Amino acid sequence: MLKKVISYTALIVLGFCFLLPFLIMILGSFKDVQYAQLDPLFWIPDQPTMKNYLYIMRDGIFMRWILNSVIITVIPVASQMIFCAVLGYIFAKKQFPGREIIFWIFMAVIMIPQQLLIIPKFIMFSGFGWINTYWALIIPELWGIMGVFLVRQFLQSIPNDLEEAAYIDGANDIQIFFKVILPLSVPVVATVGTFSFISNWNDLFQPLIYLTQEKMFPVTLGLASMLGKEGNFGIEMAGSAVSFIPTFLIFLFFQRYFTEGIQMSGLK
Amino acid sequence: MKREWNRNAIVYIFLIPVLGHFIVFQIYPFILSFYLTFMDWKVIGDPEFVGLKHWKYFLSDKLAWKAIWNTVKFSAYYIVPTMGLGLILALIINSGVKSAKFFKGIFFLPVVTSFVIIAGIWGWLFKGTEAGMINYLLSFIGIEPQLFLSNSSQALAVLAGLSIFKVAGSTMIYYFAGLQSIDQQLYEAARIDGASSFKIFWTITFPLLKPIHFFVAITTTIGSFQIFDSAYLLTGGGPNYATTTIVYYLYEQGFTSLNLSYAAVLSYILFFIILVVSLIQRKYLGQESNNY
Repeated sequence: MLKKVISYTALIVLGFCFLLPFLIMILGSFKDVQYAQLDPLFWIPDQPTMKNYLYIMRDGIFMRWILNSVIITVIPVASQMIFCAVLGYIFAKKQFPGREIIFWIFMAVIMIPQQLLIIPKFIMFSGFGWINTYWALIIPELWGIMGVFLVRQFLQSIPNDLEEAAYIDGANDIQIFFKVILPLSVPVVATVGTFSFISNWNDLFQPLIYLTQEKMFPVTLGLASMLGKEGNFGIEMAGSAVSFIPTFLIFLFFQRYFTEGIQMSGLK
Repeated sequence: MKREWNRNAIVYIFLIPVLGHFIVFQIYPFILSFYLTFMDWKVIGDPEFVGLKHWKYFLSDKLAWKAIWNTVKFSAYYIVPTMGLGLILALIINSGVKSAKFFKGIFFLPVVTSFVIIAGIWGWLFKGTEAGMINYLLSFIGIEPQLFLSNSSQALAVLAGLSIFKVAGSTMIYYFAGLQSIDQQLYEAARIDGASSFKIFWTITFPLLKPIHFFVAITTTIGSFQIFDSAYLLTGGGPNYATTTIVYYLYEQGFTSLNLSYAAVLSYILFFIILVVSLIQRKYLGQESNNY
């Protein structure tokens, strides 16, 4: 009994603490409050206003940031799901020369921190004319080693019988991939998609390096530029809330894939 | 030939472009970056070979060592609390409470939320005046308003707090999986022997989670060495370089001072540190899986 009381008390207290920042963001977004006039309880609902939301809707630049984020997220997510599914299948099921060594190199390269590659990539992309374009943020993200690894892990646990039966029926491997393997891989491909969504939508470092024009910013970098200005805190919170909606929806519907993916990537 | 094509067309069609992409965007930059460390790379004009100049400069660069030290300090503030909080969350979720799934979702929510959103709120929570909520709460127990982000001995801890809040949910997932894999019979046997819950935790649960402790320690260590976003968003590396972490210093050298070659040296230092940590992980986890 005592144990139950402790468990529930801890659950509710911690749950409240974890929710509080989100609560403040949402309640704060309905308040008209300058940064300089902030007080500790500014977010307590009283005289709510839609002003902040109307402001960011009308202010062309904010919606442009959202659009930029959508572009640099949706394309890599779609591409990652396709390429990681195919590559995972290739490395799980296909025999070809160099398979082991290529995979070993992939696993070694995954240890290179992104911060190391960003300096040479900045120089390369300057040469390509990719600075201040979507290309710099889309093209390098079209597939990912982590996604290939996840799909491979998943498919290795599936027996080859189905595939062999399909070959005997005269199917070629592209048909087999789409008709046999892909339907089986839906959960792991969804995991790859959700991971890719989060990493692209939330990315701050790469846009910060490759983009200097405000109209090219994704919403992360746009919000960061507001953070520095100390203007209207309510507008900042409204912007945060809007940029959080897609994340929240993905999280709501695909939570299972996040948690399963985290477990798969860590504990083999 | 036709049979080979039927069976392996997908390998040629997909693998070759992906390998090309891999070489252009991962292998080539990795090599270029190493080459850069021996050059003076100018934004305009031809690069000039300078040998070990930048590596030597690193050895005598007090600020670089301060950045490494700050990062180590950040790790000290961050790793154990993240593991502890993650374990506590997992224990609560696993204790048979109702709506555990719902709370699991709440604890995981910060993991998928961007640093920018959390930092925006965090910056106000820890505002160094009476307008900040933490100072407001502290005033009830008679503590004077703290400067937090503007105090060079507190700022790094405030940033670590943000990361703990953001990452504990994913640590919870690992621990939760670990807790679920523990054989229930062990608990029952201990209960029959009259062991208290407290004793059961320290003699059975905690030691059996050892592989998870190790794994989580390594991943949070690697993560802590790459910390950047919160320092960029909330403190700009200050006050007085107190929150200049390795990656923040690298960013500043490379993209504010446009000293790309020296930034490349710093990025290799970061790489070596992460490499050592990862190799320890591989060695240990390799042994661990043989034991089962």
